[in-house]
Amino acid sequence: MKNKLILWLSVVLLIVLIVFMAKDLFKTGNVSQENVYEYDLNSLRHVDESKISHKESKQIKIDAGEIHAIAVDQDDNIYVGTDKNVLVLNSEGKQINSLKLRQAASCITVMENGNILVGMSNRIDIRKPNGSLRNSFVVKGDRTYITSIAVQDTNVFIADAGQKIIHHYSIDGIKIKEIGEENQAEGIKGFVIPSPYFDLLIGRQGELWAVNPGRHAFEAYNFKGEQISSWNRTSMSVEGFSGCCNPSNIAILSDGSFVTAEKGLERVKIHLPSGDFKSVVAAPDLFEPGTVGIDLAVDSEDRILVLDPAKRLIRIFEAK
Amino acid sequence: MKKDRREFINTCFRFAAGASIVGVAGVLASKSAKGDFFWQLDPTKCTQCGRCATSCVVTPSAVKCIHVYDMCGYCDLCGGYFRPNVKNLSTGAENMLCPTGAIKRTYVEDPYFKYEIIDELCIGCGKCVKGCGAFGNGSLQLQISHDLCVNCNECAIARDCPSDAFKRVPLEEAYQFAGFKTNKKI
Repeated sequence: MKNKLILWLSVVLLIVLIVFMAKDLFKTGNVSQENVYEYDLNSLRHVDESKISHKESKQIKIDAGEIHAIAVDQDDNIYVGTDKNVLVLNSEGKQINSLKLRQAASCITVMENGNILVGMSNRIDIRKPNGSLRNSFVVKGDRTYITSIAVQDTNVFIADAGQKIIHHYSIDGIKIKEIGEENQAEGIKGFVIPSPYFDLLIGRQGELWAVNPGRHAFEAYNFKGEQISSWNRTSMSVEGFSGCCNPSNIAILSDGSFVTAEKGLERVKIHLPSGDFKSVVAAPDLFEPGTVGIDLAVDSEDRILVLDPAKRLIRIFEAK
Repeated sequence: MKKDRREFINTCFRFAAGASIVGVAGVLASKSAKGDFFWQLDPTKCTQCGRCATSCVVTPSAVKCIHVYDMCGYCDLCGGYFRPNVKNLSTGAENMLCPTGAIKRTYVEDPYFKYEIIDELCIGCGKCVKGCGAFGNGSLQLQISHDLCVNCNECAIARDCPSDAFKRVPLEEAYQFAGFKTNKKI
């Protein structure tokens, strides 16, 4: 009887020992430990509700592997550049056309006459409104990477993030000049572009606006290449732009205010023509952390179309 | 010639023993040919949880922030250098994100600034790595400094790492950095 008791006790002790050994071997220690060096981005991601001027009214899901660019034409049709084609949607989001591309689209612009300009790496394809190819040209340079196109009449302005310059071409692909090269005598500091985000647009007076993302600046040029205006706002708070290269994308409202999209702290805001912060369109909590390449377009009713590449959505925001 | 059962079993045992010896010798020879193995932190898995600073048996930690200059934007407002909501872009201690002041900021030319890590002060907390990744190009990255690492058999940080970012690799692969198609050696 005594021997049997000792035997059972030994078995229990052995089991307890095995359990402890197994726990030590297989359980990762202290996983829920608090990070005493936490870098808390939540305070920056939070936006006061009173600063938000728009509400999301619609989402359009895009069926594509990757989506890179968005544009809107005179009739509010939506053009989405993907890795394989340009999808043309009506203003309700129904697909009405698909134009196959030779390379992934990096940017799109639609002219007043309906011609579609698609930037792809170092090439521009100009398509007629029916989708057929009008002409195509390559922007020369070993480091050329086209990130934006702006068009005024027959003038085509091409943002080249690789060479950190704006190329001025005619619609037929003839190079006219370069704009924005550093020129201290003229007060042009040159573009600082640490990552491939370099956007352009045509302002209300027909001037060319370019983002200088490394300086968190907007610069306006006339077609002679002279800088006629600029403003910059560097700040980690909502009033400015932070990080290496923001704003990453821009658009313009009918009153001349700028719509800006940022990476790092993903948010869409409106800045007055003077550069002062006006309001927030989409706060960071609407985007997945790490989303980059949030492209923008504005339609005839000043609705802001936001391309969300992470969720593969067009998100439409209207004023509250 | 006819074998009896006992002799057959003996022969089988002899073959099995011989094969085992050859196998073990082969494995040992192959390991020996590959050289020693060292701990490596995979920056693509790292979540900057702060445990590299607190779990390492070496004080301060053998994990250091390493600046991959090829990727740096040389920004004025550096997310890895300045704390959030900084008002003044100066080198004042109140503006710095690093808890030990281990990053040196130097003006290069308008608008570029160079950021250098002072190894002796860096504790490997990863705060700057998170800031750089959130706002910049992610050029600040954590990695094990092998002149400081004592190469424990069971790395205390690897044991505590919640993202399983530590593994043993040959020395020539030890310094891995994110953002390059192949491992960068420095």
